Amino acid sequence: MKATLRGAGPAFTIGIVLILGNVLLALLAPWISPYDPVASDSAAALQGPSGAHWLGTDMYGRDILSRTLNGGRYALQVTFLATTIAVAAGALLGCLVAYLGGWFDDVVMRVVDAILSVPTILALLVVVSVLGSGMWVIVLAVVVVYTPAVIRVVRGAARSVKSLDYVTAAKARGERAGPIVVREILPNVSDVVLVEYAMRASWVVLLISTLSFLGFGANPPAPDWGLMVAENRTALTVVPWATLGPVAALASFVIGLHLTSDGLGKRLGVDRAMTGVK
Amino acid sequence: MPISSSMGRRSVLVAGMTLGAGALIAGLSGCGSSNGVADIPLAAATGNAARGRRMRIARPAASAAETLDPASSLSAYEYLGAIYNRLVKLDQQGTTVPDLASEWSSTPDGKTWTFKLRRGVRFHDGRVLTAGDVVYTLGHILDPATGSPQAGVLAPILEPSGVTASDSHTVVFALTSPNAEFPSLLTAYQCYIIPAGSAAAIGRTGIGTGPFRLSSYTPAGRGSVEAFADHFAGPPALDGIDFYSVQDTSARVNALLAGQIDLISQTNLDFATARVVASSPVATVARAKDAQWYTIPMLATSKEFSDPLVRQAMKLAYNPKDIVATALQGNGSPGWDNPVPPGYADALDYTRPYDPEQARALLKQAGVEGLRMPIYTSSYDSVFTPLAVAYAEAVKQAGINLTVTSASSDSYYTEIWMKKPLSVSYWFTGRPVDQLLNQVFRSGSSYNESAWSNAAFDQLLVDARREMNDERRRGIYQDAQRLIIEDGADMTPMFGDRLVGLSRKVVNYSEFGFEFDYLKIGLS
Amino acid sequence: MPLLILRRLGSAVLTIVLASLLVFLAIQALPGDVVQQILGRDATPEAVARMRSELGLDTPVFLRYVQWLFGALQGDFGTSLVSGEPVGPNLLLHFRNTLLIAVPTVIISVTLSIVLGVVAGLRRGKWADHSISLISLLAMSIPEFMVAALLVLAFAVGIPMFPAVVLDGPQASLAQLLPSIWLPVIVLSLAMAAYIIRMTRTSTIDVMTSEFITTAELKGLRRARVVMRHALPTALLPTLNVVAINIAWMLGGVVVVENIFNYPGMGNLMLEAVFNRDLPVIEAIAVVSAAIYVACNLLADLTAMALDPRQRFRPRARRGAGAQPGPKASPAISTVERSQP
Repeated sequence: MKATLRGAGPAFTIGIVLILGNVLLALLAPWISPYDPVASDSAAALQGPSGAHWLGTDMYGRDILSRTLNGGRYALQVTFLATTIAVAAGALLGCLVAYLGGWFDDVVMRVVDAILSVPTILALLVVVSVLGSGMWVIVLAVVVVYTPAVIRVVRGAARSVKSLDYVTAAKARGERAGPIVVREILPNVSDVVLVEYAMRASWVVLLISTLSFLGFGANPPAPDWGLMVAENRTALTVVPWATLGPVAALASFVIGLHLTSDGLGKRLGVDRAMTGVK
Repeated sequence: MPISSSMGRRSVLVAGMTLGAGALIAGLSGCGSSNGVADIPLAAATGNAARGRRMRIARPAASAAETLDPASSLSAYEYLGAIYNRLVKLDQQGTTVPDLASEWSSTPDGKTWTFKLRRGVRFHDGRVLTAGDVVYTLGHILDPATGSPQAGVLAPILEPSGVTASDSHTVVFALTSPNAEFPSLLTAYQCYIIPAGSAAAIGRTGIGTGPFRLSSYTPAGRGSVEAFADHFAGPPALDGIDFYSVQDTSARVNALLAGQIDLISQTNLDFATARVVASSPVATVARAKDAQWYTIPMLATSKEFSDPLVRQAMKLAYNPKDIVATALQGNGSPGWDNPVPPGYADALDYTRPYDPEQARALLKQAGVEGLRMPIYTSSYDSVFTPLAVAYAEAVKQAGINLTVTSASSDSYYTEIWMKKPLSVSYWFTGRPVDQLLNQVFRSGSSYNESAWSNAAFDQLLVDARREMNDERRRGIYQDAQRLIIEDGADMTPMFGDRLVGLSRKVVNYSEFGFEFDYLKIGLS
Repeated sequence: MPLLILRRLGSAVLTIVLASLLVFLAIQALPGDVVQQILGRDATPEAVARMRSELGLDTPVFLRYVQWLFGALQGDFGTSLVSGEPVGPNLLLHFRNTLLIAVPTVIISVTLSIVLGVVAGLRRGKWADHSISLISLLAMSIPEFMVAALLVLAFAVGIPMFPAVVLDGPQASLAQLLPSIWLPVIVLSLAMAAYIIRMTRTSTIDVMTSEFITTAELKGLRRARVVMRHALPTALLPTLNVVAINIAWMLGGVVVVENIFNYPGMGNLMLEAVFNRDLPVIEAIAVVSAAIYVACNLLADLTAMALDPRQRFRPRARRGAGAQPGPKASPAISTVERSQP
């Protein structure tokens, strides 16, 4: 990994720092938060920033800093799980489809196209209303929506690998499709998969927050970035940090992912800007 | 590239950013800063309304199936009080007072009630109100095809054939069983009087006798009403009202702050938003005192709460004053588990003890020391979650361990309420005492959210209806309240003020129960 | 060539039909009683039962899909379970309103981002490039709901230049809606432009460093002329696809924006339909969106074919990226493949 990362530029380093910083804060949140993020205190409601409450308190007297620190746990967890599953499944299927080709390719790609043609948010809303808004449901929903996109991208990359010598050689040795895909094709598209991972993650975390914002994600009183914005945005002028805090954290994480995938793309020669859309 | 053009572009950019930042600062400071937020006013502004003004009211977008038929369960609440009248209405003390009926009386056994109608009342289409319209309206409410929620209240004591017109302005109700509180049952907002023969069309025409007549209406959309010059109590202060549907609460508040509307209806502002609104130069907050009646039903049929000792412990374990302080930031009154609002003439003046140690002992006695269970909430109302959190926090002292569990708000009333052992809920106040106790606490009533069943309590309700002496009847209702406090399964931690956002120009706003005072409300 | 176009058309139609089937099946699984939802907390059991039979909710699923498909082919999308009105005209009205913000968004964001993207690409590594890249990075990373909230606070509440929300229903005339479209347009344009800027910048850099531009410059042609005549058209080719996909994305992106501004467009209709479990409406929105998505991609592909003769002869089934000729052979993947979301 180290060798791959050299030459990715300072932006890449900043990106990694932002990501790791957010992940670390989220992991340590239960220990480093000054207060219980859901404990209300009527005597301390709507206070401005102070030594006791660095970002102030919200209308129930909950500490905004503690809520912001804890607010990433849900989003990051879902983002990590959903992106990992979607990219893993998409990469495997994409390679398999590229390798097998023929009618299998046609059928899978038709379904992929069909899913891609439904607006992401509609597909998500439908899945969430079918199964409720539990964490695994949201993970599943994101996987359903994003796996096809990954399949499409990885398939494109894998097709150029397919005709390379060692794949043909493995085929000639009589190896089965599974091992060929895993051992020969997948490692050769790993750069594309890596860039895809960082980029998907940036969209997934924004999408999760949007879902929470629309009332389909995390449930109150749980601390969650999107939910905090939804709860406090009308009171932006009275408790600015209850909205700005979670947005700053969320944006820094997304910026980190963008910078990282840019840097990776530059280093690995995968053109990230080619992928243009949420 | 020439320096000047680069500078030019840069300064345009800088100018643009300055404008944006300036506007944002204006926005922030225009609403007051975190240090100087205004307190929430205690009363709405009063004063002289200017002539010739129209008010703009934003309401939550209802279902597209909503209708102006007052008897329906999907009636468009904001319009009803503007365009219709009832025979009788409820005042702030819970007393039945005249509306279309000028006087009423009953036979000594309380079985036959005679209502005299006000003379010279006209419908918006010019027809004169007669007893026939009242007979027709009651028939429409009692018709099973209408599916009116009030039919469940009236049908057990009244058959359609029991309502007759003895002359053009006298209606006689022959009840199937005595009911001293019958007039109060006609104060429900399903009982607005519609013209005879109008049931099929009333959902769209909205022809009534109210201070405003309908000029346009789209279900879940826009609509307008105009002052009705021939209204029996004189024309209203406003020339007209425009109603708008805005689904999102924040969007309604923003519309108010931006001066696009004058009042937000059916929206209980949360405390932080209320302070934003109160600090705005164009808008302020009025309160409808004790308008929301919050409850924590303990399902009496569940294994946890079938034991009255456990129910009693759940009550003794918390102090309603603390709940009001935390969940409502003081904007309400403690309920002490009595569902009858403190302002009502029939309310029982009794503060039950607060004793967490006794609660702990009772739980031990019941064999469930250290009770652990979820308490369900949702974002259906802005106070639900604070209430659940505050209650869970309060009962910790008695060793009760509740996990606040949030459920989806759109299925809360179908999947959680009356299904899970412990949840939070609310009702609008403004029900007559008889209806309140019968609907929410009598065994087997479809609104009995705690499924509590107490034969002695049910008997008290029957006795009260037979008792024609007002003083003695009040005593029976107060005995019934005491039973609810001591044995009941539905806790009433508090009554919350509804914080209503309105323009600083609005004068004489007053809302009670299910109705605005549309006659006096105006703009300065 | 005509055969190629025909094949693309055929697969486009198939995609739309398949998408409609997938959505139809998914919604069938919706829990919660749609009738209970419509009639609300006060509903009597008799009313529920009556409505259930009125809506014909007892027909088998597959039969209902076939019936629906035949209706849809004739432009009949059924009737809303909630309002009882036909879905088609209502959807058309909301679609028209969404177009009213979508068209200015596309015009503004595409113009803005191509200009900024080309400028950034030409001035690579300079002050202009850095600031443009930074702003587009921020625009991609700050959620739209926050941008919208800040804009409302600044330009509707702070300085009342624009309305904060739309009070009119979907039937409002375009003139009535016009004052309220600008804040939504700004929010959507920011989000959309960020992606197109990056695309344009990258392809401008690619083209400007490619051989034929260097040759042209060596031939002594003026730089401005080289950029306008040679570089720009080549650079915009890959941008086309990103624009197409962004237009399709916007149909989803409008949900948040329309929700915040109470704008009576397709996004709000979608949210409302999902809340109310209004199956025919959800289904119709899904199909219309799918059709737009497919049409945008088809159009982009066909335009690319028309503009770039090299693409016409690319064998469809075997388009390996390594073999693809182009301004810069992207190392692993062809532009068309990569640009799918």
